[in-house]
Amino acid sequence: MGHIDTLRGTGGPSPVSFEDFDSRLLPAWETLRGPAGRPCPRVEAAAKVTGSARYSGDRHLPGQLYGAILRSPIPHGEVEHLDASRARALPGVHAVLCHHDAPALRWRKCLLFDPRVRFVGDEVAAVAAETPQQAADALRLIDVRYRPLPFVLDADRALADGAPRIHADGNLAEEPKRYARGDVERGFAEADVVMDLVFTTQAALHNSLESHGCTARWENGSLTLWESTQGIHQIRADVARHLELSDNRVRVITEHMGGGFGAKLVMWKHSLIAALLARRSNRPVQLMLDRTAENLAAGNRNPTRQHVRLGAKRDGRLTAIEVTAVAAIGANAVGGESSNVTGVYQRLYRCANVRTEQLAVHTNTGPSCAFRAPGYVEGVFGLESAMDALARELALDPMALRLANYTERDQVRDLLYSAPDGLRGCHARAASAARSPDAPHLKLEAQAVRRGVGIAAHEWGGGGSPPAYAWAKLNADGTLDVVMGVQDIGTGTRTGLTQIAAEELGIDLARVTVHIGDTATGPFAPQSGGSATLATLGPAVRAAVADLGARAVDAAARLHDQDVTALCRERGRIVRSDGTAEWRLEQIAEALAPQMLTGAGLRSGNPPERSVRTFGVQIAEVAVNVRTGEVVVERLVAAHDCGRVINPKLVASQILGGVTQGVGFALFEERLVDEATGVPLNANLEDYHVPTQADAPAVVVAPGDRPDTAANAIGAKGIGEPPMIPVAPAIANAVYDAVGVRITELPLTRARVLAALARAGEAG
Amino acid sequence: MRPFEYHRARDTSEAASLLSEVGVQTCLLAGGTDVLPLMKDGVIAPRRLVDIKRSADLDHAVTLDDEGLRIGALTTLAEIAENALVREQAPLLAEAAESAATPQLRDAATVAGNLLQRPRCWYYRNPAFHCWLAGGAVCHARDGHNERHAIFEGDAPSPCCAVHPSDLAPALIALDAGVRLRASDGQARDVSLETLFRPPTSDRRTETVVGDALVLEIRVPRLAPQTYTRFVKVAARRTWSFALAAVAARVTVQYGRITHAALVLGGVANVPWRARQAEQALVGAPPAEDVVDRAARLAVSGARSLGHNAYKVALVQGLVTEALHTLFARAVAK
Repeated sequence: MGHIDTLRGTGGPSPVSFEDFDSRLLPAWETLRGPAGRPCPRVEAAAKVTGSARYSGDRHLPGQLYGAILRSPIPHGEVEHLDASRARALPGVHAVLCHHDAPALRWRKCLLFDPRVRFVGDEVAAVAAETPQQAADALRLIDVRYRPLPFVLDADRALADGAPRIHADGNLAEEPKRYARGDVERGFAEADVVMDLVFTTQAALHNSLESHGCTARWENGSLTLWESTQGIHQIRADVARHLELSDNRVRVITEHMGGGFGAKLVMWKHSLIAALLARRSNRPVQLMLDRTAENLAAGNRNPTRQHVRLGAKRDGRLTAIEVTAVAAIGANAVGGESSNVTGVYQRLYRCANVRTEQLAVHTNTGPSCAFRAPGYVEGVFGLESAMDALARELALDPMALRLANYTERDQVRDLLYSAPDGLRGCHARAASAARSPDAPHLKLEAQAVRRGVGIAAHEWGGGGSPPAYAWAKLNADGTLDVVMGVQDIGTGTRTGLTQIAAEELGIDLARVTVHIGDTATGPFAPQSGGSATLATLGPAVRAAVADLGARAVDAAARLHDQDVTALCRERGRIVRSDGTAEWRLEQIAEALAPQMLTGAGLRSGNPPERSVRTFGVQIAEVAVNVRTGEVVVERLVAAHDCGRVINPKLVASQILGGVTQGVGFALFEERLVDEATGVPLNANLEDYHVPTQADAPAVVVAPGDRPDTAANAIGAKGIGEPPMIPVAPAIANAVYDAVGVRITELPLTRARVLAALARAGEAG
Repeated sequence: MRPFEYHRARDTSEAASLLSEVGVQTCLLAGGTDVLPLMKDGVIAPRRLVDIKRSADLDHAVTLDDEGLRIGALTTLAEIAENALVREQAPLLAEAAESAATPQLRDAATVAGNLLQRPRCWYYRNPAFHCWLAGGAVCHARDGHNERHAIFEGDAPSPCCAVHPSDLAPALIALDAGVRLRASDGQARDVSLETLFRPPTSDRRTETVVGDALVLEIRVPRLAPQTYTRFVKVAARRTWSFALAAVAARVTVQYGRITHAALVLGGVANVPWRARQAEQALVGAPPAEDVVDRAARLAVSGARSLGHNAYKVALVQGLVTEALHTLFARAVAK
C-alpha cells in the first residue's frame, strides 16, 4: 500500500464529531479572492532573516546542562566492560547513563542503551555536564571494552547463509512486501521486447541544516521537550509511552525547524536520553547531535538494488512489469513513512500484468528512515531508466512511450484518480517549457562536451487524510487566531495555513495568526510527512473558520434583530442577502466582547470513489565532459501537479529545493563505509558532497494550478517531496542521450561516468 | 577540550624559538583553516599554538620587481586570486587560487599554509583509524576506499597513498617558483619550491621537508614571452571540494616549436607530481593534435591504480588533453 497508508491509516471517512465542523460540508472554492493563491512571503520570514526565530538548540534555560552521547566505534559487538566512574568524577558532570544504570527502556527491537551494539554510532552511554566541552571530556573518560562480533554491511551478504544475525529474529526486517495483478508470465510471453536491467541506488544522508536534538525540562513531574521534529504529537505519544507518563504530562514544542526531510518523523533515542538525563540531574538538558552523529545514527535513504523487467509490444504498450527490490535498511527499523520502492512500478503505467517484491534487510549500518519521497526516489530511478531504455530499444520518443501507457486510474486501488488528467497536463507543460533538441544551445561548443536531454515522470501521494483539527477564535478587534497541533518543518506550512484562514474569512493576511508547534495548545495533527500537511490541515482550517463564520452570522442576526436566513457571510462581512445592510466582522466582534466567537473544524475523509495522487514530469538538459566525466545539469524543467497552488512562492521554493537535492542524489551524494571496519568515512560535510549553488541547474518551474476539487475542500495537494522524485532518472536519461552510455548505478560520479565511457569505448 | 597554550609571536625569530623548544609539541597558526580542524578531529594535539599572523617580519603583500613576483607568506588565497599583478604576471596561480575551497576559506587561508597543509585522506582525518601517516602501522586506504587516492608513487612504494591536496602547489611548481625560508639557524635560505615536497618516510611522516624552518615568502619568476598557462581541476562537485585531479600546464612556443613545458599534477600523488616524460615529449614538438595525445598518454606512464581509483588515469589524460588543447589553440592563434 502507499506510503501514506502506512503512516496514518487508509484515509477513509473521518470519525463522527458532534462539535467540529466537517470539511466535507464546505462548498468548493470556485475562485480565490483573498490572500490564498498569492505569492506571499513567509509569515516568519522577518524572524528568520533577523535571527530572532528560535530553533530547538536556541533554548537557553536557567541551569541548563548539555548532553552528549558516547557512540560505538565498532559495527557489531557486545559491551563487555563499561566503567564511567572517571566521567562521573569530572567537575561539571551532573549525570551519566549507560546500560548498567539507565532504565531498561525498549527502543524498536533493542534497548535504549543496549549492551549489544549494532552499527558504528550506536548509543552506548550519555552524559550531561555544565558545558559542551565538559560533556565531550566526560565521554572520553568512559572506559569501554567491546567484544567484537562478525558484521555485515550489505544486503546480499546479510541474506546469505551463515550471515551474522543482527537481531534475534534474523536479518529480514519484515515479511517481503509482495504485490501482483494479472498474469506476468503471460505478459512477458506476449511481449515483442523484454528489457531486463539491474539498477542500484546508494545510501544517502539527509544532512538537514539543523541536526536532530532537543532541550528537555522537568517541572512538577511534567516533561517539556523543545524538539526538532516533524511530529510533535507523535513524539509526545512515544515519549509518554516509553517513560510511562500520561499524555498530559508531556509537552512537545517545535517553533521553527531547520529541515527534517523525513529523518525527524519518529522518536529517536536522543529524546528519551535527554529526558532521562534531565530527570537524573534535576536540570534542563539540551542534547543536539553534532554533524558526525547526525550522519552516523539519525537516518539515511536506504540503498537499493532493483532487478527490473519490462515487457512491451512493438508499439510501446507495456504487457508486463516485474521488479524485485532489495533495500538495506540498517540496524533498526525505525518506522515513519515507509520506503516504498516498488509502489511506482504498480501505479505509474497502465499495465495488466504486474508483479513486485520488496525485501527490507538489516545490516550493521546506521538505521535508514524516510527521506523525501522514501522509496519513490529510488524506485523511479529504476523504472524511468528502464522506460528510457525501452524507448531507445523501440526507437520511440520517450514522452510518447509514456503517454502510450497513460492511465487515469489508480490500478492498485482500482479507482479513478481525482485528477485523471493530472499527469497528462504535466507532460504537456514540460514539453512546452523544454527546448528543442535542435536549438543552437545544444550544439557542441567544445569537442569534449556532449549535450543531452532526458525525461522522467512520477506519481506520488500527497492528498492528505484525516484526522486533523483546527480551532479558530475571533478576537474583540476582529482579528483571527487559529490553533493547530501541527508543525512547520521549514516548508512554509504556517504561511499556507494562514492564507487559507484569511481567504475563508475574507480578511487581510496580517489580521490572521496561526499558532502551531505546541502539543499543549493545539489539537492533534499528524506528522508532517508524505507531502500531506497542507492537504490534511488546510481543509480543517477552512472548516474551523467556516464554523466560526456561521456563528458570526447567528450573532449578527441576534445583535441586529435580523432573520438569520436572510444573512450571509461575504469577504469579512455579514450582509443581508437583499443588500440593504452589512456589518464588518470587527463590528460584530466588538459588539460581542468580552464574549467571543470560536470555531472548530475537522478534516473529513477523502472521496471513497477516487484516488488522490500527485504527479510530475521533469526534463533535464545536461552537458557531459567526456574527458573529465563531469556532468553539469544546465537546465531542468519541473512540471508538477499539486492541485490548487495556495502560494506560488512556496511551491517554487519546494521545487527549487527538491530539484537541487535531487541533483545531489543523482551526481554526488553517497555514504561510503569502510568494508574492513564498518566505519562510515564521509559522515561530514567535507567528504559527503551535498550540491552547492554552483551545481544547481537553472530550474524552470512549470507547475499547474488546477484545483483538484474532487480531492478535498481546498483543492490543493502536496508538493514537498515530488520535485525530488524524477530528478535522478531525468539526469541519467539525459546522460545517455548525450554519450550513449546507460549508467545503472547512482550517483553518477566522475569515476562512474569515466568508467562507463571507457567500457563503451572498449565495446565499440 | 584538550588544553593548549596560545602564543602570539612578535616576529619569526620568536616563533622559531618557540617552535624549536624541545619537549613541547608546537604548531604554527596562521589562517587556521587546516590546523584547527586537525585539532578538532583529534589528528594532532599540539601543546602549544604559535600565532604568526602578526609577526612583524611576515606580510601579506604581492610585489613585482625585475625578478618577478614576491608573495608574502601570509597572503591569503583570496588576495592572490584577486591581485592584479598575479593575474597579469602569473594567471596560472590566480586560476589555481580561485579554484580552491570557498570564498570564506580563501579569505582566511594563507599561501604558505596552503602549501604545507596535510592530506585530506578520510582515514588520516578520522580518529577511528590510526593510520600510518598519523603514526600507526598501516595505510587503510590502500585496500579500502581509495577513490580519491594516489595513482603515482615514487621509485619505492609509498607507505601512504594519500594525495597532496593543494591547488596552488602544482601551479607554483609549474611556474618554477622559489621559496624563501627562515632556517633554524636564523638565516634566510632560498630554495626551489619543488624541492620542499617529498613523499613521507617512516621517520618523517609529512609531505614536506620544511622541518622547523618558516616560510617567509614565495617568489615567482617572470614568464618568458610566448608562454601560455592553464590550470584545470576536476573535483567531485563544481566548487568547495578538493581536486580529484588537477593539472597546471605551461608551455612556451617559439617559431612553431615548444621550447619549454611544465605539466604538474595535483591530487594524484603524495606530492605535486611532475609529468616528466610528457614534458620531455613536448619540448621540441609543434603545438599539434598528435602531440597532445602523446603527452596525455605519457602523463600517466607509471600510473598504478588502486582498487577504486582507476578512473584517475583516464581523468589525468583528459585534463592534460583539455589543458594542452587550450594552450595550443592560443599559441597557434598568435
